[in-house]
Amino acid sequence: MLKMVVGIKWVPNTTSVNIDPKTGTLIREGIPSVVNPHDLEAVEMALRLKDEYGGKVTVITMSPPSAIAGLEHVLGMGADEAILVSDRAFAGADTLATSYVLAKVIERLDYDLIIFGQETIDSSTAHVGAQVASWLDLPYVYYVTHAELRDRKLVVRRSLENAHETYELELPALISVAMHTLHPRRVKVSNKLRVKLENPIKTWSNQVLGLDPECIGLRGSPTALSKIEMVPKVPRKNEVFRGDAREAAKWLLEKLMEEGLLKLG
Amino acid sequence: MMRKPMRVDDILNNDVWDVDYEPHIRVDTTKCRECEEKPCLLLCPAQCYTLAGDEVLFSYEGCLECGTCRLICPHDAVSWDYPVSGRGIHYRFS
Amino acid sequence: MKEVGYKFDVIVVGAGPAGSAAAYTLAKKGFKVLLVERGRVPGSKNVFGGRVYADPLRDVFDGFDEAPIHRWVTKERISLVNGEAMTSFEFHERKRTSFTTYLTELACWMARKVEEAGGTVLTEITVDELVVEDGKVTGIRVGDEKVSSDVVIDAEGINRLLLERAGLVPKLEVRYAGLGVKEVIKLSKKEIEDLFGLDEDEGLAWLMMGDVTGGLPGGAFLYTNRDSVSVGLVVMLGEAVKEVREHISRYVEALRLHPLLERYFRNGRIMEYSAHLVPEYTWPSLPHRLYADGLLVAGDAAGLLLNLGYNFRGVDYAAYSGYLAAKAVEKAHEMGGMTSENLSVYERMLEESFIMKQLRKFRNAPKMRENGRLYTTYPEVVNSVMDQLFHSPYEIPKVMEAFKRAKDGKIGWLDLVRDLLEVVRSV
Repeated sequence: MLKMVVGIKWVPNTTSVNIDPKTGTLIREGIPSVVNPHDLEAVEMALRLKDEYGGKVTVITMSPPSAIAGLEHVLGMGADEAILVSDRAFAGADTLATSYVLAKVIERLDYDLIIFGQETIDSSTAHVGAQVASWLDLPYVYYVTHAELRDRKLVVRRSLENAHETYELELPALISVAMHTLHPRRVKVSNKLRVKLENPIKTWSNQVLGLDPECIGLRGSPTALSKIEMVPKVPRKNEVFRGDAREAAKWLLEKLMEEGLLKLG
Repeated sequence: MMRKPMRVDDILNNDVWDVDYEPHIRVDTTKCRECEEKPCLLLCPAQCYTLAGDEVLFSYEGCLECGTCRLICPHDAVSWDYPVSGRGIHYRFS
Repeated sequence: MKEVGYKFDVIVVGAGPAGSAAAYTLAKKGFKVLLVERGRVPGSKNVFGGRVYADPLRDVFDGFDEAPIHRWVTKERISLVNGEAMTSFEFHERKRTSFTTYLTELACWMARKVEEAGGTVLTEITVDELVVEDGKVTGIRVGDEKVSSDVVIDAEGINRLLLERAGLVPKLEVRYAGLGVKEVIKLSKKEIEDLFGLDEDEGLAWLMMGDVTGGLPGGAFLYTNRDSVSVGLVVMLGEAVKEVREHISRYVEALRLHPLLERYFRNGRIMEYSAHLVPEYTWPSLPHRLYADGLLVAGDAAGLLLNLGYNFRGVDYAAYSGYLAAKAVEKAHEMGGMTSENLSVYERMLEESFIMKQLRKFRNAPKMRENGRLYTTYPEVVNSVMDQLFHSPYEIPKVMEAFKRAKDGKIGWLDLVRDLLEVVRSV
């Protein structure tokens, strides 16, 4: 029986963000949001642990209320309950202020294990998991590809470029899941029905949490964005090889060596 | 705007997908080898079917879920389904 | 297959115009209704040309005036195009009969009405199968779960995979389908009003015939939305399979870049590219019965769309057929159950409604539209006549003279009379 908390983020579907050729700015109109895909992997890991050992999965997100659709999605996958942490006072938060609020939320929950995704597709900082672990003073392992329970200890595997590491963690602990390791499961109709008919989503505002305004939102965020620069387009050489795969491979190898990009060692 | 025809990839760039983890369409490309007409190459509006040498190459990621390929395939090589969990094409202005 | 812990009076598959109309009508009457939709939000898998007729929707939905309407179509333009010449007929009258919108928005609004009326709407649910037990549809299967209901209204859309899997219909034949492909191009509100000569809430519906479809039988369309235009074509798939010469997107691009049309899109950018199948040839070849034990079929899945060549009626037909399906369920409920016999009232209601009356009246329209001369010869002849009348300063021909010159070598009198009769008979 594992009590788990999973943190997710509701992000614009950045696979489809385009630049307006006239103004050079991002086109935001009509870009739908999705649950950060790497966070769906965190949910999937929690659900697999629940399938194996029993337990409860609570999903939390700090977001405007539009994220309810995302919470419904993960409840549809099988999470037990969800908390929307939402207040104007939280707006403008950087990763520090975000992790502070999430840590304060988690403190109020009964948990053995906290799971985050590796990073988000809209900012890719990978900060929040580590920061929550610090706030709560928990052991933290990231890039986790597999987790199981042995004698009330969590044994996790972590994949690096040239090694697999295995850790044994005392619970409670926090892990973040390496991206592209798990396929999130299909949304179930029974779960979705439960969402609609029993409404397992709670909303917590700062009235519930009572956090110091100096530590949250824009005021609690020391990060300042000083400048955004567009990366100039590098002219690409464009050559197409037509023919069979074996010859193509040989041709490509020669090309890459010619350009000094590959050396035979 | 572009005063010459845009490539279909560039046109498709304006669309939004949440691509499913498993392909919702499977193509038995052994049947494609026997196929003379290959109408899928020109009539799939998202150009999910392309030729690599003599082989038909199918990719489901940019599928618009119209169902054309299923109807026009002369050899019934297309087994067709819809993506699950709300994934696939997400139209906003159509 | 596990039974879920909830049971419904009615399950409706697909939150398009047909499904939402059915679910709304029944929820309002107090039935326990479940509407399931595979898209992330209702409408996210829907595509149409660009125009909807308002009255049938007003009959179905209360508070219709709050629907997301972009522009009322007050300007109808029909053009015959060949090469770089175009002859147009235009009709302008400030009446509020049909409007432009995004179907994606309209479908979302309809599904919200279902929830307001007390129905349960589930998105992100792809139905795998109709559950048939002892010859009766008893619910739906999603993954390894079953949801039960007394009756299922199938409004799954043109591909009708569920009906096919249940063995109730064969695979749709290519000749009964059209392929619609369109680009939605962003312009400012003001640009649209200036370019097309429209007032603030006025819209244009523009249908084009001729070689704008690159020789494929079908037609091209342009609709003005609030701050975008939808431009695209619908081709008859059966003919397109034989005649397509380059990738279909090239045909749409050729339309966007047509020397007489390109000026409208010059300052725009593409917002979306979409494609969808369209039922063609609906009558008399309605391919199947629209009712069975525990089942009714509505909208595109039932093939209920009227394509006259100069006008399309899809969304309002779909919504109204969903409404009638709901009425049939009500009747069957009064008669004691969802048997095939009781539900057969649906077909009678359809027969008596404007839907079947019009589909029957225009039953020859699809056949007429297969006539290649409509797309090639006639636009050419008409434009040639206009060319002679207006571009011959020193020897203006008489109209008949110009006509004879234009048609000679292209079409004989006999074919001409035959085609004329066919057009008159069909539309």
